[in-house]
Amino acid sequence: MWWTRRRSTDPLTRDLEAAIGADSVEGGASARLLYSRDGSIIRGGKAGVVCLPGSTEQVAACVRIARAHGRAFVPRGAGTGLTGGAVPCDDPVVIATTRMDRILEVDVDRRIAWVEPGVVNLDLTSHLAGTGLHFAPDPSSQQACSIGGNVANNSGGPHCLLYGVTSVHVTAVEVVLPDGEVVVLGEEEGDAVGYDLRGAFVGGEGTLGIATRIAVRLTPDPPEVRTLLLDFTTIEEAAETVSAVIAAGIVPAALELMDQQVVQAVEPFADAGYPLDAAAVLIVELDGLPAGAAREAESVAAVARECGARTVRIAEDEEERARIWKGRKGAFGAIANIKPSYYLHDTVIPRTRLAEVVTGVNAIAERHGLIVMNVFHAGDGNLHPLLVFDHREPGVMDHVFAAGEEIVRLSLEVGGVLSGEHGIGLEKRRFMPLLFSPEDLAAQRALRDAFDPDGVANPHKVLPSGASCGDVQDLPEIPEGVWV
Amino acid sequence: MTGSSSPRTGGVLDLRDDALASCVACGLCLPHCPTYRVTGDERRSPRGRIALMRAVDEGATAPDAEWLEAMDTCILCRGCETACPSAVPFGELMSDTRAAVTRTRQVPLRLRVGLAVLVRPRLLRGLSRILALLQRLHLLPGRLPLPGRLPMRDPRQKGRVGGEVVLFTGCVMDAWQPEVHAAVEEVLEACGATVSRSGDAAGCCGALHAHAGLEGAARSLAERVMAAIPEQVPVLVDSAGCGATLRGYGSLVGTPEAAAFSARVQDVHEWLAADIDRMPAATVGKRSTVIVQDPCHLRHAQGCHGSVRTVLAPYADTVELDDEGLCCGAGGAFSVLQPELASEVRLRKTASIRRAMATTGAEAVVSANPGCAIHLAAAGHVVRHPLEVVAERIRGKQGGAHGR
Repeated sequence: MWWTRRRSTDPLTRDLEAAIGADSVEGGASARLLYSRDGSIIRGGKAGVVCLPGSTEQVAACVRIARAHGRAFVPRGAGTGLTGGAVPCDDPVVIATTRMDRILEVDVDRRIAWVEPGVVNLDLTSHLAGTGLHFAPDPSSQQACSIGGNVANNSGGPHCLLYGVTSVHVTAVEVVLPDGEVVVLGEEEGDAVGYDLRGAFVGGEGTLGIATRIAVRLTPDPPEVRTLLLDFTTIEEAAETVSAVIAAGIVPAALELMDQQVVQAVEPFADAGYPLDAAAVLIVELDGLPAGAAREAESVAAVARECGARTVRIAEDEEERARIWKGRKGAFGAIANIKPSYYLHDTVIPRTRLAEVVTGVNAIAERHGLIVMNVFHAGDGNLHPLLVFDHREPGVMDHVFAAGEEIVRLSLEVGGVLSGEHGIGLEKRRFMPLLFSPEDLAAQRALRDAFDPDGVANPHKVLPSGASCGDVQDLPEIPEGVWV
Repeated sequence: MTGSSSPRTGGVLDLRDDALASCVACGLCLPHCPTYRVTGDERRSPRGRIALMRAVDEGATAPDAEWLEAMDTCILCRGCETACPSAVPFGELMSDTRAAVTRTRQVPLRLRVGLAVLVRPRLLRGLSRILALLQRLHLLPGRLPLPGRLPMRDPRQKGRVGGEVVLFTGCVMDAWQPEVHAAVEEVLEACGATVSRSGDAAGCCGALHAHAGLEGAARSLAERVMAAIPEQVPVLVDSAGCGATLRGYGSLVGTPEAAAFSARVQDVHEWLAADIDRMPAATVGKRSTVIVQDPCHLRHAQGCHGSVRTVLAPYADTVELDDEGLCCGAGGAFSVLQPELASEVRLRKTASIRRAMATTGAEAVVSANPGCAIHLAAAGHVVRHPLEVVAERIRGKQGGAHGR
């Protein structure tokens, strides 16, 4: 309200207000508190002033003004990230793109849409209803996360097993570079001439600039979808089924695993009729032409039974299918039904080692006296072991972090990688040297420096640095909840 | 507010500890919050508001003007509760927070005056008649949140006693939309039920008092309502907001008697849908197509919005909106207290209604809540109560439409 708004005395805030309007610049204690966090467990971030720009020009103005005042900037989407990628360190200007939420253009014939970064992932697919097209990347947070955030994290999702992660679906990006210049990387159609800077930008976690307009590829809806719910009396049998399905030459659209505790936590919310006594369930989705999908569904059912599946249920209609997916996609949010907090990793391991690693993860949690819940993209070996705890119990955080580190080391030992889709952010950067040699890291640093020689774009993220801002190791306050 | 005995934080707001701890900050609520949707501002989101409650409760932040505005701008639609995988009782947290705030900050004068009128049925009717006269003389600004045509005559109908069901008549609805109660009564009687009215003795349900954080006033109104309806029969409600409030008396008052009363309360559509076969066949008029707007307190608070479709099915074709039940911005007194935000929220709803109109040709909207009906009618839509549509088909009755 204009009558309650005091004129700011801080020169940075005053310049920002002059450039993008006082209603789009927030420097109060409540705003700074909320924009110091994302969906992760990390606390201790410190937002300077928060900007909610409405256009590319306003984003560029925010970047230039931040720089003129010697301040860094942190881009932010919906704030559903899990690794602290949007957690600000040392009072930077936070630039949230949530008000840039227009779908600018949909070209059904060329299967391309231009969107602003604040468009909610699922809103784009809803908007496309009736065109026979959809936006394929479907992170579990797709009803809330923004496409700008998907670009920053090169987000995945259950259906990325068949359709590929965000980078595959982004053809061009308009970017405000760290010096305030506006460029377009990539081409709407065809490969860009020269180096693939679009490819470098997607997954840059906001360290290479801010996406302000995005050209996304639209995917035709499959003519037929079969969704199977398989249940098992041991988690090992479920894991073996995953390997056996892929070994049989079938690439499902999605192949997800949930263990018993997850199933029990989400069933009240999803009302999907999951078997509550099963040790694990697999959700297998097959799509394609009707005959092919039906044949593949039969093959999957046969393979699963051979591996020990107790029952095979095929969703009979769209509503049943939606309920099965509602449970999977609400899994992280439902954790508070068990304990008030969680911390998870996002490692990817070879599919053939799933059974062994899941057993190992469960043993690690047990040694630390923690509950672990497994819900993950089994088809591509992307684990999401959730360590579930009550942060109010004294000493529990030490166990949580120690167990987390052991899980990472175990995953890397079997030939895995650090992150499948959540990014590195603040939280995983300390593990980077476990995966990359100093030469590898120097090469990545060189790429970053080429975009941002002064280190003003989302500093302290992705690459290891000496700074201790908001690091999970040095949390100045007790972490609360977190999710994927 | 809640009668639950689980431990409280003992902090500044003294919220229930488990309720506060149950938010894991996943953010799945964000797109289902009308005020976040139109502002893109975390302070206007359920996740943000819970984090701010926690900060103040722990003493980490002061409840300054910015913080209060974050709390005051919540419509209490509870759309976030439906979206939450962890079942965070957001409505309870916000009600408790407002109650704590009200202990140290006075409720705005115009709201206090308004609430004082609501609980005095004769005064409310008298003032309403003056407003009706001014309306006829075109002396009222068109943008006031009032029905299109206020009744001039005393709307009360003679109350029967000893009916098989009690129709809860409330405050504003009794004074401003008596035709809705009449239509509801007609439908119930056509189904063979005898109906008593709760009338002036019961009066206002206290929903707006509870929204404003006036816990004590809400509780005494609850006592009054319960005392006025001692019969052990179903209490039927045709206003979603009142229905949700009456159903919450169990936790508001915290006695077994109140819990038993709440258990007897049903939305009128829910009661009718439970035995749909006794509803009479449509004999007059033509089958029309209506757009169903789900009041938040039916869909999110009571979860019985499906009944509206069941009850309408024999009489009209229904069209769904494509906004997944996002609030229209009415929110009891919200549209009066936060007019700018309420209008922005309404823009999303009216856009969704227009899309439904364009694809189906339907013109009328049905809403089972008077606040939503008035708020949407003020934006130029024809809005009717679902049972007005039904009543017309069983006796050719011409009910009063709001708006236009």
